[in-house]
Amino acid sequence: MSALRGRVALVTGASRGLGRAVALAFAREGALLAICARGAAALEAVAAEVRAAGAAVLAIQADVRNSRDIERVVALTLEGFQRIDILVNNASELGPTPLPYLVDYPPDAFDDVLQVNVVAPFRLSQAVIRSMLTQREGVVINVSSDAAVTGYPGWGAYSVSKAALDGLTRTWAEELEGTGVRIHAVDPGDMDTAMHRAAEPEADPIDLARPEEVAEAFVRLASEPHPATRLEARSLLEVRSRV
Amino acid sequence: MFELAGWKLPPELRASQPAELRGMRRDHVRLMVIDRTSGSITHTRFDQVGDFLDAGDLLVVNSSRTLPAAIPARRQDGSPVQLRPSVRRGQHWDALAVQPNPPHANVPLAAGERLAVAGTQATVEGRRADIPLLWRIRLDEDGLDRLLLAGEPIRYSYVPGPIPLEYYQTVYATHPGSAEAPSAGLAFSWEVLLGLHERGIETADIVLHTGLSSFQDDAFDAEHHMYEEWFEVSTLAAAAVGRAHRVIAVGTTVVRALETAVDRHGHVRALAGWTDLKISPAHRPRVVDALITGFHEPQASHFELLQAFVDGDLLRRAYAGAIERRYLWHEFGDTMLIL
Repeated sequence: MSALRGRVALVTGASRGLGRAVALAFAREGALLAICARGAAALEAVAAEVRAAGAAVLAIQADVRNSRDIERVVALTLEGFQRIDILVNNASELGPTPLPYLVDYPPDAFDDVLQVNVVAPFRLSQAVIRSMLTQREGVVINVSSDAAVTGYPGWGAYSVSKAALDGLTRTWAEELEGTGVRIHAVDPGDMDTAMHRAAEPEADPIDLARPEEVAEAFVRLASEPHPATRLEARSLLEVRSRV
Repeated sequence: MFELAGWKLPPELRASQPAELRGMRRDHVRLMVIDRTSGSITHTRFDQVGDFLDAGDLLVVNSSRTLPAAIPARRQDGSPVQLRPSVRRGQHWDALAVQPNPPHANVPLAAGERLAVAGTQATVEGRRADIPLLWRIRLDEDGLDRLLLAGEPIRYSYVPGPIPLEYYQTVYATHPGSAEAPSAGLAFSWEVLLGLHERGIETADIVLHTGLSSFQDDAFDAEHHMYEEWFEVSTLAAAAVGRAHRVIAVGTTVVRALETAVDRHGHVRALAGWTDLKISPAHRPRVVDALITGFHEPQASHFELLQAFVDGDLLRRAYAGAIERRYLWHEFGDTMLIL
Protein backbone atom coordinates (compact mmCIF):
# COMPACT_ATOMS: atom_id res chain seq x y z
CA MET A 1 0.00 0.00 0.00
CA SER A 2 2.65 2.51 -0.92
CA ALA A 3 2.15 3.22 -4.60
CA LEU A 4 2.27 6.98 -3.89
CA ARG A 5 4.75 7.08 -1.02
CA GLY A 6 6.04 10.62 -0.46
CA ARG A 7 4.15 12.05 -3.44
CA VAL A 8 2.32 15.32 -2.91
CA ALA A 9 -1.27 15.33 -4.18
CA LEU A 10 -3.64 18.27 -4.49
CA VAL A 11 -7.33 17.31 -4.76
CA THR A 12 -10.09 19.87 -5.36
CA GLY A 13 -13.67 19.35 -4.25
CA ALA A 14 -12.36 16.93 -1.65
CA SER A 15 -15.04 17.39 1.00
CA ARG A 16 -17.37 14.71 -0.38
CA GLY A 17 -18.09 12.14 -3.05
CA LEU A 18 -15.32 11.20 -5.46
CA GLY A 19 -12.92 13.91 -4.22
CA ARG A 20 -13.11 12.60 -0.67
CA ALA A 21 -12.66 9.00 -1.84
CA VAL A 22 -9.64 9.91 -4.00
CA ALA A 23 -8.02 11.85 -1.14
CA LEU A 24 -8.47 8.90 1.22
CA ALA A 25 -7.24 6.37 -1.35
CA PHE A 26 -4.14 8.51 -2.03
CA ALA A 27 -3.55 8.84 1.73
CA ARG A 28 -3.67 5.06 2.18
CA GLU A 29 -1.05 4.75 -0.59
CA GLY A 30 1.37 6.99 1.26
CA ALA A 31 0.74 10.36 -0.43
CA LEU A 32 0.89 13.74 1.31
CA LEU A 33 -2.43 15.52 0.78
CA ALA A 34 -3.53 19.07 0.13
CA ILE A 35 -7.30 19.16 -0.12
CA CYS A 36 -9.59 22.03 -0.86
CA ALA A 37 -13.33 22.70 -0.97
CA ARG A 38 -15.74 25.54 -0.31
CA GLY A 39 -17.29 24.19 2.90
CA ALA A 40 -14.92 24.38 5.86
CA ALA A 41 -16.72 21.94 8.18
CA ALA A 42 -17.02 19.11 5.64
CA LEU A 43 -13.42 19.72 4.53
CA GLU A 44 -12.14 19.49 8.10
CA ALA A 45 -14.03 16.21 8.57
CA VAL A 46 -12.28 14.73 5.51
CA ALA A 47 -8.93 16.14 6.71
CA ALA A 48 -9.46 14.23 9.97
CA GLU A 49 -10.16 11.03 8.00
CA VAL A 50 -7.01 11.54 5.92
CA ARG A 51 -4.99 12.10 9.09
CA ALA A 52 -6.49 8.94 10.58
CA ALA A 53 -5.25 7.09 7.49
CA GLY A 54 -1.76 8.17 8.54
CA ALA A 55 -1.13 10.91 5.96
CA ALA A 56 -0.01 14.51 6.37
CA VAL A 57 -2.81 16.79 5.22
CA LEU A 58 -3.28 20.46 4.49
CA ALA A 59 -6.96 21.53 4.34
CA ILE A 60 -7.51 24.78 2.44
CA GLN A 61 -10.95 26.32 2.36
CA ALA A 62 -11.14 27.81 -1.12
CA ASP A 63 -13.45 28.65 -3.98
CA VAL A 64 -11.66 27.72 -7.20
CA ARG A 65 -13.63 30.39 -9.10
CA ASN A 66 -11.62 33.01 -7.24
CA SER A 67 -8.11 33.73 -8.56
CA ARG A 68 -6.83 34.78 -5.12
CA ASP A 69 -7.98 31.43 -3.79
CA ILE A 70 -6.22 29.61 -6.63
CA GLU A 71 -2.97 31.35 -5.65
CA ARG A 72 -3.63 30.46 -1.99
CA VAL A 73 -4.18 26.79 -2.81
CA VAL A 74 -0.99 26.59 -4.88
CA ALA A 75 1.23 28.71 -2.62
CA LEU A 76 0.08 27.04 0.61
CA THR A 77 0.59 23.56 -0.85
CA LEU A 78 4.06 24.48 -2.11
CA GLU A 79 4.96 26.11 1.21
CA GLY A 80 3.74 23.06 3.11
CA PHE A 81 5.18 20.30 0.92
CA GLN A 82 7.72 22.08 -1.42
CA ARG A 83 6.29 20.38 -4.51
CA ILE A 84 3.11 19.14 -6.18
CA ASP A 85 3.30 15.74 -7.92
CA ILE A 86 -0.38 15.05 -8.54
CA LEU A 87 -3.26 17.41 -9.22
CA VAL A 88 -6.83 16.10 -9.37
CA ASN A 89 -9.26 18.64 -10.79
CA ASN A 90 -12.36 17.11 -9.27
CA ALA A 91 -14.42 20.11 -8.06
CA SER A 92 -17.44 20.27 -10.34
CA GLU A 93 -20.69 22.19 -10.52
CA LEU A 94 -23.72 20.29 -11.77
CA GLY A 95 -25.90 23.35 -12.26
CA PRO A 96 -29.45 23.96 -11.06
CA THR A 97 -31.46 20.89 -10.03
CA PRO A 98 -33.80 19.50 -11.14
CA LEU A 99 -31.72 19.81 -14.29
CA PRO A 100 -33.41 22.27 -16.67
CA TYR A 101 -33.56 21.93 -20.45
CA LEU A 102 -31.18 24.30 -22.24
CA VAL A 103 -34.18 26.22 -23.52
CA ASP A 104 -35.08 26.93 -19.89
CA TYR A 105 -31.52 27.23 -18.52
CA PRO A 106 -30.78 30.32 -16.38
CA PRO A 107 -27.92 32.06 -18.24
CA ASP A 108 -26.01 32.98 -15.08
CA ALA A 109 -26.10 29.38 -13.92
CA PHE A 110 -24.60 28.35 -17.28
CA ASP A 111 -21.73 30.79 -16.72
CA ASP A 112 -21.18 29.46 -13.23
CA VAL A 113 -20.93 25.84 -14.42
CA LEU A 114 -18.29 26.87 -16.99
CA GLN A 115 -16.39 28.86 -14.36
CA VAL A 116 -16.13 25.94 -11.96
CA ASN A 117 -15.73 23.12 -14.47
CA VAL A 118 -13.55 24.74 -17.16
CA VAL A 119 -12.01 28.09 -16.23
CA ALA A 120 -11.00 27.10 -12.70
CA PRO A 121 -9.32 23.82 -13.77
CA PHE A 122 -7.46 25.77 -16.48
CA ARG A 123 -6.18 28.37 -14.03
CA LEU A 124 -5.28 25.90 -11.32
CA SER A 125 -3.65 23.50 -13.79
CA GLN A 126 -1.63 26.33 -15.29
CA ALA A 127 -0.25 27.39 -11.91
CA VAL A 128 0.51 23.81 -10.89
CA ILE A 129 1.91 22.63 -14.24
CA ARG A 130 4.36 25.56 -14.24
CA SER A 131 5.79 24.17 -11.04
CA MET A 132 5.65 20.58 -12.33
CA LEU A 133 7.65 21.61 -15.42
CA THR A 134 10.24 23.17 -13.13
CA GLN A 135 10.55 19.87 -11.26
CA ARG A 136 10.22 17.96 -14.59
CA GLU A 137 7.54 15.57 -13.47
CA GLY A 138 3.92 15.47 -12.44
CA VAL A 139 0.49 14.15 -13.32
CA VAL A 140 -2.78 16.02 -13.69
CA ILE A 141 -6.10 14.15 -13.68
CA ASN A 142 -9.23 15.96 -14.79
CA VAL A 143 -12.56 14.46 -13.82
CA SER A 144 -14.65 14.19 -16.98
CA SER A 145 -17.99 12.51 -17.69
CA ASP A 146 -19.76 10.53 -20.37
CA ALA A 147 -21.85 13.70 -20.70
CA ALA A 148 -18.75 15.15 -22.40
CA VAL A 149 -19.37 12.90 -25.42
CA THR A 150 -23.11 12.12 -25.26
CA GLY A 151 -26.10 14.44 -25.12
CA TYR A 152 -28.57 13.93 -22.25
CA PRO A 153 -31.62 16.14 -21.70
CA GLY A 154 -31.02 18.55 -18.82
CA TRP A 155 -27.24 18.06 -18.72
CA GLY A 156 -26.52 20.91 -21.16
CA ALA A 157 -24.14 23.17 -19.24
CA TYR A 158 -22.45 20.23 -17.53
CA SER A 159 -22.04 18.47 -20.87
CA VAL A 160 -20.54 21.55 -22.52
CA SER A 161 -18.20 22.08 -19.57
CA LYS A 162 -16.91 18.51 -19.55
CA ALA A 163 -16.48 18.49 -23.34
CA ALA A 164 -14.46 21.69 -22.94
CA LEU A 165 -12.42 20.12 -20.15
CA ASP A 166 -11.69 17.16 -22.46
CA GLY A 167 -10.56 19.63 -25.13
CA LEU A 168 -8.35 21.40 -22.63
CA THR A 169 -6.87 18.05 -21.61
CA ARG A 170 -6.10 17.06 -25.22
CA THR A 171 -4.27 20.34 -25.89
CA TRP A 172 -2.32 20.17 -22.64
CA ALA A 173 -1.33 16.57 -23.51
CA GLU A 174 0.07 17.63 -26.89
CA GLU A 175 1.94 20.60 -25.44
CA LEU A 176 3.38 18.62 -22.52
CA GLU A 177 4.61 15.68 -24.60
CA GLY A 178 8.14 14.74 -23.57
CA THR A 179 8.30 17.09 -20.59
CA GLY A 180 7.73 14.50 -17.84
CA VAL A 181 4.37 16.05 -17.00
CA ARG A 182 1.34 14.04 -18.12
CA ILE A 183 -2.35 14.82 -18.08
CA HIS A 184 -5.47 12.69 -18.36
CA ALA A 185 -9.23 13.12 -18.42
CA VAL A 186 -11.06 10.34 -16.63
CA ASP A 187 -14.74 9.50 -16.92
CA PRO A 188 -15.49 7.99 -13.51
CA GLY A 189 -18.85 6.51 -14.61
CA ASP A 190 -22.10 6.77 -12.67
CA MET A 191 -21.41 6.78 -8.95
CA ASP A 192 -23.49 6.78 -5.81
CA THR A 193 -22.70 10.37 -4.79
CA ALA A 194 -24.64 13.44 -3.64
CA MET A 195 -24.10 14.98 -7.09
CA HIS A 196 -25.58 11.98 -8.85
CA ARG A 197 -28.55 11.89 -6.46
CA ALA A 198 -29.17 15.58 -7.20
CA ALA A 199 -29.09 14.90 -10.93
CA GLU A 200 -31.04 11.63 -10.98
CA PRO A 201 -32.87 11.11 -7.70
CA GLU A 202 -34.74 8.09 -9.03
CA ALA A 203 -31.59 6.07 -9.88
CA ASP A 204 -31.20 2.82 -7.97
CA PRO A 205 -27.92 2.93 -5.97
CA ILE A 206 -27.45 -0.76 -6.74
CA ASP A 207 -26.69 0.26 -10.36
CA LEU A 208 -24.10 2.80 -9.30
CA ALA A 209 -20.42 2.38 -8.51
CA ARG A 210 -19.15 3.37 -5.10
CA PRO A 211 -16.69 6.30 -5.23
CA GLU A 212 -14.28 4.25 -3.09
CA GLU A 213 -14.03 1.67 -5.88
CA VAL A 214 -13.59 4.29 -8.59
CA ALA A 215 -10.88 6.03 -6.54
CA GLU A 216 -8.65 3.00 -7.09
CA ALA A 217 -8.50 3.91 -10.78
CA PHE A 218 -7.14 7.32 -9.77
CA VAL A 219 -4.44 5.69 -7.62
CA ARG A 220 -3.45 3.56 -10.58
CA LEU A 221 -3.37 6.45 -13.02
CA ALA A 222 -1.42 8.65 -10.58
CA SER A 223 1.19 5.99 -9.95
CA GLU A 224 1.76 4.53 -13.44
CA PRO A 225 1.99 6.13 -16.87
CA HIS A 226 -0.92 5.34 -19.18
CA PRO A 227 -0.94 5.82 -22.97
CA ALA A 228 -4.49 7.17 -23.22
CA THR A 229 -5.22 10.85 -22.62
CA ARG A 230 -8.94 10.23 -22.07
CA LEU A 231 -10.13 7.05 -20.43
CA GLU A 232 -12.92 5.49 -18.41
CA ALA A 233 -12.16 4.63 -14.81
CA ARG A 234 -13.86 1.27 -15.38
CA SER A 235 -11.19 0.24 -17.91
CA LEU A 236 -8.43 0.66 -15.32
CA LEU A 237 -10.37 -1.27 -12.70
CA GLU A 238 -11.06 -4.17 -15.07
CA VAL A 239 -7.38 -4.45 -15.91
CA ARG A 240 -6.53 -4.46 -12.24
CA SER A 241 -9.08 -7.16 -11.34
CA ARG A 242 -7.75 -9.48 -14.05
CA VAL A 243 -4.21 -9.27 -12.71
CA MET B 1 27.09 59.40 -24.18
CA PHE B 2 24.98 58.47 -21.21
CA GLU B 3 25.88 60.37 -18.05
CA LEU B 4 24.77 59.04 -14.72
CA ALA B 5 24.89 62.29 -12.75
CA GLY B 6 21.53 64.03 -12.69
CA TRP B 7 20.04 61.60 -15.23
CA LYS B 8 16.29 60.99 -15.20
CA LEU B 9 14.48 58.23 -17.01
CA PRO B 10 11.96 59.67 -19.50
CA PRO B 11 8.59 58.78 -17.94
CA GLU B 12 7.25 57.21 -21.14
CA LEU B 13 9.99 54.57 -21.01
CA ARG B 14 8.68 53.16 -17.75
CA ALA B 15 6.76 49.94 -18.39
CA SER B 16 3.51 50.60 -16.60
CA GLN B 17 1.97 47.19 -17.26
CA PRO B 18 3.10 43.62 -17.90
CA ALA B 19 3.65 42.69 -21.55
CA GLU B 20 0.45 40.61 -21.71
CA LEU B 21 -1.63 43.59 -20.60
CA ARG B 22 0.13 45.69 -23.25
CA GLY B 23 -1.24 43.22 -25.82
CA MET B 24 1.84 41.13 -26.47
CA ARG B 25 3.33 37.83 -25.36
CA ARG B 26 5.64 37.97 -22.36
CA ASP B 27 8.45 36.48 -24.47
CA HIS B 28 8.07 39.18 -27.14
CA VAL B 29 9.66 41.95 -25.09
CA ARG B 30 12.92 43.27 -26.48
CA LEU B 31 16.33 41.84 -25.76
CA MET B 32 19.60 43.75 -25.92
CA VAL B 33 22.62 41.47 -26.18
CA ILE B 34 25.86 42.93 -24.85
CA ASP B 35 28.95 41.03 -25.89
CA ARG B 36 31.77 41.92 -23.52
CA THR B 37 34.46 40.29 -25.65
CA SER B 38 33.75 42.23 -28.85
CA GLY B 39 32.07 45.20 -27.22
CA SER B 40 29.17 44.78 -29.65
CA ILE B 41 25.54 45.48 -28.82
CA THR B 42 22.77 43.59 -30.68
CA HIS B 43 19.05 44.32 -30.57
CA THR B 44 16.57 41.46 -30.89
CA ARG B 45 13.43 39.98 -29.36
CA PHE B 46 13.49 37.94 -26.15
CA ASP B 47 12.22 34.70 -27.71
CA GLN B 48 15.37 34.70 -29.90
CA VAL B 49 17.61 34.38 -26.83
CA GLY B 50 18.61 30.84 -27.87
CA ASP B 51 20.51 32.26 -30.86
CA PHE B 52 23.10 33.58 -28.41
CA LEU B 53 23.42 30.40 -26.33
CA ASP B 54 25.09 27.05 -27.02
CA ALA B 55 24.33 23.44 -26.14
CA GLY B 56 25.84 22.80 -22.73
CA ASP B 57 25.01 26.27 -21.43
CA LEU B 58 22.92 26.35 -18.28
CA LEU B 59 20.23 28.88 -17.43
CA VAL B 60 19.85 29.26 -13.68
CA VAL B 61 16.51 30.72 -12.66
CA ASN B 62 15.09 31.87 -9.34
CA SER B 63 11.97 29.77 -8.65
CA SER B 64 10.85 31.95 -5.75
CA ARG B 65 7.16 32.79 -5.91
CA THR B 66 6.07 36.38 -5.37
CA LEU B 67 3.85 37.21 -2.42
CA PRO B 68 1.20 39.91 -2.25
CA ALA B 69 3.53 41.75 0.14
CA ALA B 70 1.73 45.08 0.56
CA ILE B 71 -0.29 44.28 3.67
CA PRO B 72 -3.01 46.55 5.04
CA ALA B 73 -2.75 47.17 8.79
CA ARG B 74 -4.46 49.45 11.29
CA ARG B 75 -2.93 51.35 14.21
CA GLN B 76 -4.62 51.67 17.59
CA ASP B 77 -5.83 55.18 16.76
CA GLY B 78 -7.67 53.66 13.79
CA SER B 79 -5.36 55.07 11.12
CA PRO B 80 -4.41 52.75 8.28
CA VAL B 81 -0.82 51.87 7.48
CA GLN B 82 0.65 49.53 4.88
CA LEU B 83 3.30 47.03 5.94
CA ARG B 84 5.82 45.68 3.45
CA PRO B 85 7.62 42.77 5.09
CA SER B 86 11.09 42.61 3.59
CA VAL B 87 12.49 39.85 5.74
CA ARG B 88 10.19 37.19 7.22
CA ARG B 89 11.29 34.72 9.89
CA GLY B 90 8.05 32.96 10.83
CA GLN B 91 6.01 35.47 12.79
CA HIS B 92 8.90 37.96 12.97
CA TRP B 93 8.89 40.51 10.18
CA ASP B 94 11.29 43.31 9.30
CA ALA B 95 8.84 45.56 7.51
CA LEU B 96 8.60 48.96 5.96
CA ALA B 97 5.60 50.94 7.27
CA VAL B 98 4.16 53.31 4.67
CA GLN B 99 1.02 55.27 3.95
CA PRO B 100 -1.57 53.08 2.20
CA ASN B 101 -1.80 55.42 -0.80
CA PRO B 102 0.77 56.95 -3.17
CA PRO B 103 3.36 58.28 -2.70
CA HIS B 104 3.53 55.74 0.16
CA ALA B 105 5.66 57.90 2.45
CA ASN B 106 7.18 56.19 5.47
CA VAL B 107 5.04 56.22 8.62
CA PRO B 108 6.96 56.40 11.90
CA LEU B 109 5.64 53.74 14.27
CA ALA B 110 6.29 53.61 18.01
CA ALA B 111 8.10 50.80 19.78
CA GLY B 112 5.57 48.81 21.78
CA GLU B 113 2.52 49.83 19.77
CA ARG B 114 -0.01 47.25 18.66
CA LEU B 115 -1.24 46.85 15.10
CA ALA B 116 -4.13 44.93 13.59
CA VAL B 117 -2.57 43.03 10.66
CA ALA B 118 -4.26 40.59 8.30
CA GLY B 119 -6.73 39.18 10.77
CA THR B 120 -4.35 39.05 13.72
CA GLN B 121 -2.54 41.44 16.05
CA ALA B 122 1.12 42.42 16.07
CA THR B 123 3.55 44.25 18.30
CA VAL B 124 6.07 46.78 17.00
CA GLU B 125 9.28 45.84 18.78
CA GLY B 126 11.42 48.67 17.44
CA ARG B 127 13.54 49.70 14.49
CA ARG B 128 16.28 47.67 12.89
CA ALA B 129 19.58 49.13 14.00
CA ASP B 130 21.27 48.89 10.59
CA ILE B 131 18.23 49.91 8.50
CA PRO B 132 16.10 52.14 10.70
CA LEU B 133 13.29 52.36 8.13
CA LEU B 134 12.56 48.69 8.74
CA TRP B 135 10.42 47.94 11.78
CA ARG B 136 10.79 44.74 13.74
CA ILE B 137 7.25 43.43 14.05
CA ARG B 138 6.10 40.31 15.88
CA LEU B 139 2.77 38.83 14.81
CA ASP B 140 0.67 37.11 17.47
CA GLU B 141 -0.03 34.32 14.99
CA ASP B 142 2.03 33.08 12.10
CA GLY B 143 0.68 32.05 8.75
CA LEU B 144 1.34 32.61 5.09
CA ASP B 145 -2.39 32.31 4.46
CA ARG B 146 -3.09 35.57 6.31
CA LEU B 147 -0.71 37.37 4.01
CA LEU B 148 -2.15 35.68 0.90
CA LEU B 149 -5.68 36.65 1.94
CA ALA B 150 -4.94 40.26 2.83
CA GLY B 151 -2.07 41.45 0.65
CA GLU B 152 -1.67 43.04 -2.75
CA PRO B 153 1.48 43.03 -4.90
CA ILE B 154 3.88 45.88 -4.05
CA ARG B 155 3.56 48.48 -6.76
CA TYR B 156 5.59 51.60 -7.50
CA SER B 157 4.43 54.91 -8.92
CA TYR B 158 5.15 53.99 -12.55
CA VAL B 159 2.51 51.24 -12.35
CA PRO B 160 -0.61 53.35 -11.93
CA GLY B 161 -3.27 50.66 -11.54
CA PRO B 162 -3.53 47.38 -9.66
CA ILE B 163 -2.04 44.39 -11.49
CA PRO B 164 -3.19 40.87 -10.55
CA LEU B 165 -0.54 38.86 -8.72
CA GLU B 166 -0.30 36.22 -11.48
CA TYR B 167 1.37 38.78 -13.76
CA TYR B 168 4.15 39.14 -11.20
CA GLN B 169 4.88 35.40 -11.28
CA THR B 170 7.53 33.93 -13.53
CA VAL B 171 6.39 30.82 -15.42
CA TYR B 172 8.60 28.70 -13.16
CA ALA B 173 7.53 30.33 -9.88
CA THR B 174 7.28 27.66 -7.21
CA HIS B 175 8.43 28.43 -3.65
CA PRO B 176 6.46 31.30 -2.07
CA GLY B 177 8.49 34.02 -0.36
CA SER B 178 9.53 37.02 -2.47
CA ALA B 179 8.43 40.52 -1.51
CA GLU B 180 8.87 41.64 -5.11
CA ALA B 181 8.99 39.66 -8.34
CA PRO B 182 12.38 38.26 -9.37
CA SER B 183 11.59 40.15 -12.54
CA ALA B 184 14.51 39.31 -14.85
CA GLY B 185 12.79 36.03 -15.68
CA LEU B 186 9.32 37.43 -16.35
CA ALA B 187 10.00 37.35 -20.10
CA PHE B 188 10.47 33.57 -20.20
CA SER B 189 7.59 31.43 -21.45
CA TRP B 190 7.68 27.66 -21.18
CA GLU B 191 7.55 27.57 -24.97
CA VAL B 192 10.93 29.33 -25.02
CA LEU B 193 12.36 27.24 -22.17
CA LEU B 194 11.24 23.92 -23.67
CA GLY B 195 12.65 25.03 -27.04
CA LEU B 196 15.98 25.72 -25.35
CA HIS B 197 15.92 22.30 -23.66
CA GLU B 198 15.55 20.69 -27.11
CA ARG B 199 18.70 22.53 -28.19
CA GLY B 200 20.67 21.22 -25.21
CA ILE B 201 20.42 24.41 -23.16
CA GLU B 202 19.24 23.22 -19.77
CA THR B 203 17.61 24.96 -16.83
CA ALA B 204 18.33 24.66 -13.12
CA ASP B 205 16.54 26.54 -10.36
CA ILE B 206 17.68 28.10 -7.12
CA VAL B 207 15.52 29.95 -4.61
CA LEU B 208 16.17 33.45 -3.34
CA HIS B 209 13.31 35.27 -1.66
CA THR B 210 13.67 38.91 -2.67
CA GLY B 211 13.37 41.80 -0.25
CA LEU B 212 12.27 45.33 -1.10
CA SER B 213 13.89 47.27 -3.92
CA SER B 214 12.98 50.63 -2.39
CA PHE B 215 12.61 52.04 1.12
CA GLN B 216 10.38 54.84 -0.21
CA ASP B 217 13.05 57.38 0.70
CA ASP B 218 15.25 58.66 -2.15
CA ALA B 219 18.17 59.72 0.01
CA PHE B 220 18.18 56.44 1.91
CA ASP B 221 17.79 54.39 -1.28
CA ALA B 222 20.77 56.21 -2.83
CA GLU B 223 22.97 54.86 -0.02
CA HIS B 224 22.36 51.31 -1.37
CA HIS B 225 21.72 49.59 1.92
CA MET B 226 22.03 45.84 1.57
CA TYR B 227 20.48 43.38 3.91
CA GLU B 228 19.99 39.65 4.17
CA GLU B 229 17.81 37.54 1.88
CA TRP B 230 16.93 33.85 2.26
CA PHE B 231 18.35 31.56 -0.41
CA GLU B 232 18.66 27.89 -1.21
CA VAL B 233 20.92 26.18 -3.74
CA SER B 234 19.94 22.51 -4.05
CA THR B 235 22.27 19.57 -4.67
CA LEU B 236 20.66 19.23 -8.09
CA ALA B 237 21.35 22.88 -8.99
CA ALA B 238 24.91 22.75 -7.67
CA ALA B 239 25.63 19.64 -9.77
CA ALA B 240 24.12 21.24 -12.87
CA VAL B 241 26.32 24.31 -12.39
CA GLY B 242 29.34 22.03 -12.02
CA ARG B 243 28.60 20.36 -15.38
CA ALA B 244 27.68 23.51 -17.29
CA HIS B 245 29.66 25.01 -20.14
CA ARG B 246 28.56 28.56 -19.33
CA VAL B 247 26.39 29.52 -16.37
CA ILE B 248 23.80 32.14 -17.31
CA ALA B 249 22.13 33.73 -14.29
CA VAL B 250 18.57 34.85 -14.90
CA GLY B 251 18.48 37.83 -12.61
CA THR B 252 20.83 39.35 -10.09
CA THR B 253 19.14 37.32 -7.32
CA VAL B 254 20.60 34.21 -8.96
CA VAL B 255 24.06 35.81 -8.98
CA ARG B 256 23.71 36.55 -5.28
CA ALA B 257 22.62 33.00 -4.42
CA LEU B 258 25.19 31.17 -6.58
CA GLU B 259 28.10 33.38 -5.58
CA THR B 260 27.20 32.87 -1.91
CA ALA B 261 27.28 29.12 -2.43
CA VAL B 262 30.79 29.07 -3.98
CA ASP B 263 33.33 27.25 -1.82
CA ARG B 264 37.00 28.20 -1.51
CA HIS B 265 37.86 25.97 -4.47
CA GLY B 266 35.51 27.90 -6.69
CA HIS B 267 32.81 25.20 -6.81
CA VAL B 268 29.12 25.79 -6.12
CA ARG B 269 27.85 23.51 -3.37
CA ALA B 270 24.36 22.89 -1.99
CA LEU B 271 23.70 25.54 0.62
CA ALA B 272 20.75 27.30 2.24
CA GLY B 273 20.61 30.25 4.57
CA TRP B 274 20.68 34.03 4.67
CA THR B 275 23.01 35.94 2.40
CA ASP B 276 24.15 39.53 2.63
CA LEU B 277 26.68 39.18 -0.16
CA LYS B 278 27.09 42.34 -2.22
CA ILE B 279 28.09 41.87 -5.84
CA SER B 280 30.03 44.90 -7.07
CA PRO B 281 33.17 45.69 -9.03
CA ALA B 282 35.00 44.87 -5.79
CA HIS B 283 33.42 41.40 -5.65
CA ARG B 284 33.39 39.93 -9.10
CA PRO B 285 31.39 36.78 -9.85
CA ARG B 286 33.35 33.54 -9.70
CA VAL B 287 30.91 31.07 -11.25
CA VAL B 288 28.37 33.15 -13.16
CA ASP B 289 29.49 33.65 -16.77
CA ALA B 290 26.59 35.62 -18.18
CA LEU B 291 23.52 37.47 -16.97
CA ILE B 292 19.97 38.14 -18.12
CA THR B 293 18.54 41.18 -16.39
CA GLY B 294 16.15 44.08 -16.81
CA PHE B 295 16.67 47.81 -17.11
CA HIS B 296 16.54 49.64 -13.82
CA GLU B 297 17.35 53.23 -12.99
CA PRO B 298 21.11 53.63 -12.79
CA GLN B 299 20.92 55.34 -9.43
CA ALA B 300 19.77 51.98 -8.06
CA SER B 301 22.27 49.47 -6.72
CA HIS B 302 21.50 47.43 -9.83
CA PHE B 303 23.87 49.60 -11.88
CA GLU B 304 26.68 49.08 -9.41
CA LEU B 305 26.09 45.33 -9.56
CA LEU B 306 26.16 45.35 -13.36
CA GLN B 307 29.60 46.96 -13.23
CA ALA B 308 30.81 43.70 -11.73
CA PHE B 309 30.04 42.24 -15.16
CA VAL B 310 30.50 45.06 -17.64
CA ASP B 311 33.02 47.87 -17.64
CA GLY B 312 31.54 51.32 -17.15
CA ASP B 313 32.05 52.55 -20.72
CA LEU B 314 30.29 49.62 -22.37
CA LEU B 315 27.48 49.77 -19.80
CA ARG B 316 26.94 53.49 -20.43
CA ARG B 317 26.91 52.80 -24.17
CA ALA B 318 24.29 50.08 -23.61
CA TYR B 319 22.11 52.37 -21.51
CA ALA B 320 22.40 55.16 -24.09
CA GLY B 321 21.35 52.68 -26.78
CA ALA B 322 18.40 51.54 -24.69
CA ILE B 323 17.16 55.11 -24.32
CA GLU B 324 17.71 55.94 -27.97
CA ARG B 325 15.82 52.83 -29.07
CA ARG B 326 13.06 53.37 -26.55
CA TYR B 327 13.57 50.22 -24.49
CA LEU B 328 11.09 49.90 -21.64
CA TRP B 329 12.41 49.87 -18.09
CA HIS B 330 11.52 48.32 -14.73
CA GLU B 331 10.05 44.93 -13.85
CA PHE B 332 7.58 44.74 -16.73
CA GLY B 333 10.00 46.14 -19.28
CA ASP B 334 12.57 44.87 -21.76
CA THR B 335 15.63 42.78 -21.01
CA MET B 336 19.35 42.52 -21.61
CA LEU B 337 21.70 39.58 -21.94
CA ILE B 338 25.29 40.25 -20.91
CA LEU B 339 27.64 37.70 -22.47
